Amino acid sequence: MTVRRVLIFAPILLILVLLQSYFWVPTYEQQTKGSPARLAGYIAGSIGDASLLNPILSADSASSSINDMVFEGLIDRDEQLRFRGRLAKSWEIFEDALFYVNPSARIPGLGKADAHTLADFIKHAQKTTRIKDPALKDSLNRITDIFVLPSRTFTVSKSFKDSNTGKEKTMIIRVAAPPRIKLVLNTVDQDLFQNLTHLLGEDYFESFHGKDYLKSDAQLSKEQLAAYTQELIPAVEHNPILLFHLRPGVKFHDGHLVEADDVRFTYEAIMNPKNLSPRISDYEPVKTVEVIDPLTVKIVYKRLYSPAIGTWGMGILPEHLLNSQALKKEATRLGKDLKTFSIRSSSFNRKPVGCGPFKFQNWKSDQYIILDRFDDYWDGPPNYQRYVFRIIPDLLTQEMEFYAGTIDSYGVQPHQVERLEKDPRFQNFSGVAFGYTYIGYNMRRKPFDDPRVRRALGMAIDVEKIIKYVLYGQGESITGPFVKQTDYYNHAIKPLVYDPKGALKLLAAAGWKRNKAGRLEKNGKPFKFTLITNSGNDLRKAILAIAQDAWKQIGIDVNTDLLEWSVFIQERVNKADFDALILGWQMGIEPDLYQIWHSSQTNPYQLNFVGYKNKEADDLIIKIRQEYNHNRQIEFSHRLHEIIAGEQPYTFLYVGKWTAVLDKRIVIKTVDDTGAIRHEKITPTKTGDYSFYFNKWIKLPKAPDFMNEG
Amino acid sequence: MLSFIGRSVVQKTITLFFVSIVSFLIIHLAPGSPSQVDPMNPKFTPEMVERFQKEFHLDKPLYIQYIYFYQDLFTGKTVSWKDNQSVLKKIWERFLNSLPLFVVGTLITWTLSFPVGIRSAIFRGGIYDRSATFISYVLISIPGFFFAYVLIIFVVTYFHVPVIGMETFGIGDAPATYLFMDRIWHLVLPSMLGATGGIAVLSRYVRSQMLEVEGQDYIRTARAKGLPAEQVHYKHALRNALLPFVTMFGLILPGLIGGSVIIESIFSWPGMGRMAYEAVLARDYPIILTVNFVSAVLVLAGTFISDLLYLVVDPRIRL
Repeated sequence: MTVRRVLIFAPILLILVLLQSYFWVPTYEQQTKGSPARLAGYIAGSIGDASLLNPILSADSASSSINDMVFEGLIDRDEQLRFRGRLAKSWEIFEDALFYVNPSARIPGLGKADAHTLADFIKHAQKTTRIKDPALKDSLNRITDIFVLPSRTFTVSKSFKDSNTGKEKTMIIRVAAPPRIKLVLNTVDQDLFQNLTHLLGEDYFESFHGKDYLKSDAQLSKEQLAAYTQELIPAVEHNPILLFHLRPGVKFHDGHLVEADDVRFTYEAIMNPKNLSPRISDYEPVKTVEVIDPLTVKIVYKRLYSPAIGTWGMGILPEHLLNSQALKKEATRLGKDLKTFSIRSSSFNRKPVGCGPFKFQNWKSDQYIILDRFDDYWDGPPNYQRYVFRIIPDLLTQEMEFYAGTIDSYGVQPHQVERLEKDPRFQNFSGVAFGYTYIGYNMRRKPFDDPRVRRALGMAIDVEKIIKYVLYGQGESITGPFVKQTDYYNHAIKPLVYDPKGALKLLAAAGWKRNKAGRLEKNGKPFKFTLITNSGNDLRKAILAIAQDAWKQIGIDVNTDLLEWSVFIQERVNKADFDALILGWQMGIEPDLYQIWHSSQTNPYQLNFVGYKNKEADDLIIKIRQEYNHNRQIEFSHRLHEIIAGEQPYTFLYVGKWTAVLDKRIVIKTVDDTGAIRHEKITPTKTGDYSFYFNKWIKLPKAPDFMNEG
Repeated sequence: MLSFIGRSVVQKTITLFFVSIVSFLIIHLAPGSPSQVDPMNPKFTPEMVERFQKEFHLDKPLYIQYIYFYQDLFTGKTVSWKDNQSVLKKIWERFLNSLPLFVVGTLITWTLSFPVGIRSAIFRGGIYDRSATFISYVLISIPGFFFAYVLIIFVVTYFHVPVIGMETFGIGDAPATYLFMDRIWHLVLPSMLGATGGIAVLSRYVRSQMLEVEGQDYIRTARAKGLPAEQVHYKHALRNALLPFVTMFGLILPGLIGGSVIIESIFSWPGMGRMAYEAVLARDYPIILTVNFVSAVLVLAGTFISDLLYLVVDPRIRL
């Protein structure tokens, strides 16, 4: 009967129509089916959307990953993490060193001297062979020129808070500065003045009393006076100079040439308080940025601070699109208030123009950002025609889209790696991350002030087991505060060996003996403390339990506590109110450890909350940040690493690993001079960056066979 | 007849008026404030908040805000607070996205439920009937989002095809047939998921209706006079069992605008339900209220239509 047939066939037909569409859809294996351009594009999955596509303003990782594609800095780091020129073809680092002539000091073999005599004296010392001190000789040899700056007087006004009334006041300070001598050096030499004392007398610089040259109408306290003296008339001053030679003919995406003015403009935009740039503190040590000619820019620093070089990896902004005229035009067009209109409010941040390998095409909020290849890129255009940044807030959805071939990368989790490793469709990468997890001891409290106790506590924990069972093998042990894949890390230092018996011996040496119940005690007092960490981190929670158990086994009574993050940081860490804690640091490449390890940083709310103080370590920390010579930095870092590992203020546990997975069909494609195309397997660089050659990547229709390369 | 229509329209207008007041009050009494004027939001300075409040009359008493809002709505001037786009335009765009999902979902539900339900009724108590009942209850009980994830994982890991979104991402310049089929494919999973609950419920309903009618005297008479079983079932029983379903047609109308929040969210489908959900999270009052108002209108219109349909199909009813 027809009714019956219709009732049965209608749904069958409908379902067939729906299901047959499966044969038209591109699958993972055939991504070009119906979508021929798929192979020429790279689709990156992301949890969150970008916020501001402007390198000087953005602070989130999503925006940064787009900015890295669209913008280009003067320098970046190569496979070995050394600096490499990008917009800058080359650069020079040298310094101007200045000191005030000290009229009261007696110079050995010369007596009291005025500026010109002193300058001649130093020039003479350069030539003479009389000087035997090699360090002094070395320093003198670096001096290429000597100038005498005449004495001068100037006034500055300073606002300060009146300690009695609490009101803001201004005062005038008059400075009558004596003549100054400027030494031009061909490299940076942090020991220059130290060495010069061998020539000019032990206390030549120390006995210069700057405060004698200051006059103020207000009463100044001793500390204020010292601070202003140091600021206005420092006895000695290092002015390191970075001279960048720009690459000629580099163009922005709109065809405008990249010139030194753009570099100066980028710096000024960062420093302009109206723009509220989060990077402002990075550029605080900069004194001036001068444009010498369209392809040369000179950056003078206020003091020795070598980590500052790395900040020139900052993407360069096009001045012609963002200078005050351009902003004025835009503000008038939009009818906005000129006074409050800044780069932050400009529509540039939603359609940026840079000089990087990809140019901005389109941005649909919460959906995608599309970048297209920039064909005039100075380093040769990338192989991919298109880069798509796709926003998928859900991790599972990301994974599903990855398996379906509609994204090329996603945030793969450590536990998934093992499964994906076996899949022949994928290639995967992993490497050591830039951060470590540790147990920190409050060294202000007993018994953690004893290095033997800290070492013993570390020896009682089996880090290898933590890595194996808690991290599924996705981690490595670490022995000190430097990033493991940099040269600064001292590989000669061996990690603590798991040895509970040895730990007990060390504790016995420190006076802790086991009593009848098997508990450790010293002078009748039991070994008892609390180990804390923040809640919400399962890894740390697991370590908490493991450490507690390990220490209980050698007779220590350990309590544990999990605290909500803000309470943990504000009440316990910032106020240094803890016995021991589990925490992690995220590190940069620069070996600057000042904030975390210098003894001046042990006050509440500072980062050296364990209270680590060591004179030699302090010296090394300062020396490292003042040193511009990479090899000497390494030398200092290795020693510092050794000291810290020896004292064990932390039990350094592990560095995590990052993981990434890619379609096997993505390869590196290079074309040599004869026009022959070569495909190579993607291999991570020594430092673990697998996407270092991203511009050379391309997806092939079929996974190539790299048999000959294993 | 005409008097019924007139009365009905007046009644429904009054209801609508109260609905508009209540929904307006509920939104404004709910805790939290629009993200643009939330004092906790660090992105907005106090002066921006003030300017914003002024612009959108948030500084006025509630009844004035109410008048302003419905004035704007009826003149088509309402704009979303999030991006200053016209609300009606946004709703229309999203509605067009939700429409295919709704149409296909409804088609699947209605075409599948009848054969399944009828067969259950005819072979009442048999293995088929019992397993159909069992499966129906399973489908009703499984939370939709869970079932959706299971289905997505299954399809993607075994067939390696994209299922998320309205089309394969980046398919851009493909031939038209591919584009069309791609869209159809992306409809399959979400519409099936949207339909499962409906099929389970509706087929049960069909079964019980059929059983009720099959127990009637005239069916026994039909059998007794020797009509073939097929004719008894499909001509005499089914026709009479169909009556209540005609009215249900009117009631599916509101589903048009409500969409499916969960299914659309899981499949990243840029439809109505998802927009309304996101608007609630951002306290985007104009969108929430407009969607609310439109769906109230549709519910009332739906009941009105089903009343009329009943009138048409059942000659016994005279209003």
